[in-house]
Amino acid sequence: MAHVQVNQLFKKYGELQVVHGVDFEIGDGEFTVLVGPSGCGKSTILRMIAGLESVTSGDIVINERVVNDIPPRDRDIAMVFQDYALYPHMSVRQNLGFGLKMRNASKVEIDEAVRRTADTLQIGALLHRKPGQLSGGQRQRVAIGRAIAREPQLFLFDEPLSNLDAKLRVEMRTQIKRLHMSFQVTSIYVTHDQTEAMTLADRIVVLRDGRIEQVGTPDDLYSRPANRFVAGFIGSPTMNFIDARLVAEGDTLWVEPTGGPRLSVPAERVGRYRPHAGRQITLGMRPEDFTNTWTDESRAASSAVPLDVTVDIAEPLGSDTLIFGRIGEAEIVCRVTAVAAPPRGAVMRLNAHMNHMHLFESDSGVAL
Amino acid sequence: MTTLGRTRLADVGTYVAFGVICLFFAGPLLWLVSLSIRTSAEIYVSSINLWPNNPTLENYVAALNNPLFPTYLWNGLKLAVGGAFGAIFFAAPAAYALSRFRFRNKQLAMIGLLAVQMISPLVIMVPLYRYMDRIGLTDSHVGAMMLYIAIAAPLFTWMLKGFLDGIPRSLEEAAMIDGCTRFGAFMRVVLPLSLPGLTSAFVLNAILGWSQFIIPFILISKPNLLPIAVGIFNFQGTYSQTSTQTLAAASVISIVPAVVVFLVLQRFIIGALMSGAVKG
Repeated sequence: MAHVQVNQLFKKYGELQVVHGVDFEIGDGEFTVLVGPSGCGKSTILRMIAGLESVTSGDIVINERVVNDIPPRDRDIAMVFQDYALYPHMSVRQNLGFGLKMRNASKVEIDEAVRRTADTLQIGALLHRKPGQLSGGQRQRVAIGRAIAREPQLFLFDEPLSNLDAKLRVEMRTQIKRLHMSFQVTSIYVTHDQTEAMTLADRIVVLRDGRIEQVGTPDDLYSRPANRFVAGFIGSPTMNFIDARLVAEGDTLWVEPTGGPRLSVPAERVGRYRPHAGRQITLGMRPEDFTNTWTDESRAASSAVPLDVTVDIAEPLGSDTLIFGRIGEAEIVCRVTAVAAPPRGAVMRLNAHMNHMHLFESDSGVAL
Repeated sequence: MTTLGRTRLADVGTYVAFGVICLFFAGPLLWLVSLSIRTSAEIYVSSINLWPNNPTLENYVAALNNPLFPTYLWNGLKLAVGGAFGAIFFAAPAAYALSRFRFRNKQLAMIGLLAVQMISPLVIMVPLYRYMDRIGLTDSHVGAMMLYIAIAAPLFTWMLKGFLDGIPRSLEEAAMIDGCTRFGAFMRVVLPLSLPGLTSAFVLNAILGWSQFIIPFILISKPNLLPIAVGIFNFQGTYSQTSTQTLAAASVISIVPAVVVFLVLQRFIIGALMSGAVKG
């Protein structure tokens, strides 16, 4: 198992700077996901940790040892690649045993490791086949098997599920989570898919343009996003952002969406937001923070306020319904309990759970 | 006209064009074979008969009985195979570097390689002879082989680079994480996967070397060092006027190894080794 530190990491390709001083730390046995849109530098950081890219400046420390100049083979890591990178001229058995063979393990040790790995991943029947004779899902399992057979101290995953179809992706995601729970090996996983990040991670590092936007648990990122970018990146459908003004009237604080009805700020948040009264802000509400089932009691208990939404389109998903509509000038999407699709232009009275609201500075997008 | 009719018509057109092209290129070859089985009396008959009145294999016997003929064949083989090995020995690492590493002026280096390829040995014949003579590499197989290599290496560097570009980098990276050095990853992963490319480059190179004429013609004058292509040419001078049929027979014999090698090794070229290497 490994403890990983990334200190002030920079990466430049010629004049192009792709990673701008990134810092984070990964504890023993932790599953950390690097997530962000394409071009954010997440794969580059992973490849620097693997030793496949040089470090321009900064340090990568694995178990108290700076590994910047240590070749990949001596870092005791294993990596699962996006394109699987199985050796096409070797059988599955040889692929699984290759790392151990390179480390001069005995034939008995290799056979035992291959058997154990094949059992874990249920690929025993495929051992004699070549990668070309496997389906996408089977190749992915062999690629994971090649990583775990060697029992490294650190696993690196570079978008390992992005070439699979949706159903297989969910299956493999669960499989990876199960493997991590049973082996408890420190893992770093790169993806652009926030669902993968949320479901797999102990901790998530959100990146944009080579900089860290926020590091936290999935709950931190979902409930307490540091800025508008993180708030918009985590969660699906994405958070609603509504231009509004913060208005104070005596002890009460109101959020006034442009052209829409004013919404009261819950009493427990008034103190926090009062210094910003009078300013133009962005209100963030997740689609699931609007509901269509309530009683007067539950509304009062949850600081929810009634809100009329003009329906544009309704998308029934079975378990619930997405309502695309408007409040004032803002377009919003709400995830409500399944209802018969209301006609276009209908007004739906929903419950806005203001205790879940987020406020961001209009210019910088930083959370207030 | 129906679609089927149009397709048929297009097929007929294709076959006719194929036939014409075939005849154009195979014609001289067939004529060579025809000459090689004639008696000396039939060489200069004016009527054009592809099949002679009195076909004979005497000319082949005569060519093969020439005491220098096996030497010519052996020299040709030595130069072709040695040159091909040498060209690949130098082209493969260069191709690997051009395919895998980022370095300054890489594009320029590649264009430079191609530019060198465009200079015909014929153009530099005189200075080349003087140069090789000065450093004592005329009348030497090593000297000739060096030039075979120099001429072939740029083209094969390009060819192999194209092939190596098709082998995903992630395979080498996986090998390096699995415990290989870069050289180890090259030997254990890249090289086995490049085998179809290397084989095709080798075969092509050897065939080109086998038919190489200019270089040995300029550099080698000792009969016992001549390769077959130049050796045959010398038949012309050493025999009486009616040596055309023997020359033809010798030429046919000289073609056979190249054709056989191509046919046998062609199967290696079509290697489906790469299938399934990456995402499918």
